[in-house]
Amino acid sequence: MKVEIDNEIIEKIKERIKDMDEFDSVEGYVDYILKQIVGRLEEENKIKVDKEEYSKEDEKKVKERLKSLGYLD
Amino acid sequence: MIVIFAIDALEYNLVEEFNCKNLKQKYYGKTDISEFSQPRTMVLWSSFMTGKNKEDDVLEDGNKEMWNKKWDIKETFFSFFENPVVLDLPGFSYDLGFHGKSRILLKNFFETKNLEKKENLKKEYNKDAFDHHRKIKDKFFKALGEDRDFVLGYFSVADVIGHLNFGNKVIMKMIYIELDEMAEKIKKNKRVKSLIILSDHGMKAIGRFGDHSEYGFWSTNFKDLKTPKITEFYELIRGIKNES
Repeated sequence: MKVEIDNEIIEKIKERIKDMDEFDSVEGYVDYILKQIVGRLEEENKIKVDKEEYSKEDEKKVKERLKSLGYLD
Repeated sequence: MIVIFAIDALEYNLVEEFNCKNLKQKYYGKTDISEFSQPRTMVLWSSFMTGKNKEDDVLEDGNKEMWNKKWDIKETFFSFFENPVVLDLPGFSYDLGFHGKSRILLKNFFETKNLEKKENLKKEYNKDAFDHHRKIKDKFFKALGEDRDFVLGYFSVADVIGHLNFGNKVIMKMIYIELDEMAEKIKKNKRVKSLIILSDHGMKAIGRFGDHSEYGFWSTNFKDLKTPKITEFYELIRGIKNES
């Protein structure tokens, strides 16, 4: 799939990545940014869906375990 | 430069499931931590850096006090190096302020019965963990660009986030992709000759939550270590140092 990007944005990205070792192309940088954004959106959405999905029994188990591992008093 | 990408709770099975090629490197496997009574983070990293089972020493003042334990560099393999950088490692350069706050939020999460409050606490807990990750990541890559003979970066995000979110594959996958991309970037750095990726223990699900599993993850770009004990890395690193 091809996506058109405004030339002005492309120039800004080129300027931004010229001294960055991890990106050797505008495509690579755009792909990285999109992954970050999509990941965050998925996370936010998933958190809403997951609300109230913790069971009391699991919570009790993990609480005890976290105590024995030193995470909780 | 010898580099250790130390990742708390990196789980072997998720590395496989998400096919994190960069985390796996050329050789990878599980560590043997069966000599320890429980997979405690402070005990395992202390034993790793000193080459000795430090369970008794770490636990002598109780579970609560163990996080304040700090080993002298002379007791660790870091002393083999001329200008090492060790970032946020439990028992050595651990950020007690951040990690202490994280445990308070965790405690408050379990103590409150109010679901709305629980959710908000989890959001704050998650956000803090990601913010801290970004902070250590910046320092880590800065150190990799310097004239150093050893760099270790300890990253707790998979453990901290995993304890409340391990059943949420979307969040966990996002974290593993991030860590895999970091591994790729480390590998591309020409200063890096030997790279060890290591976790203290892995993680297993208790419903939506995460608990420590009874083995760790290791990978290297230079040698098959089979199923090493976490204390064996001390001599391994001495050997690599002497060869370089």
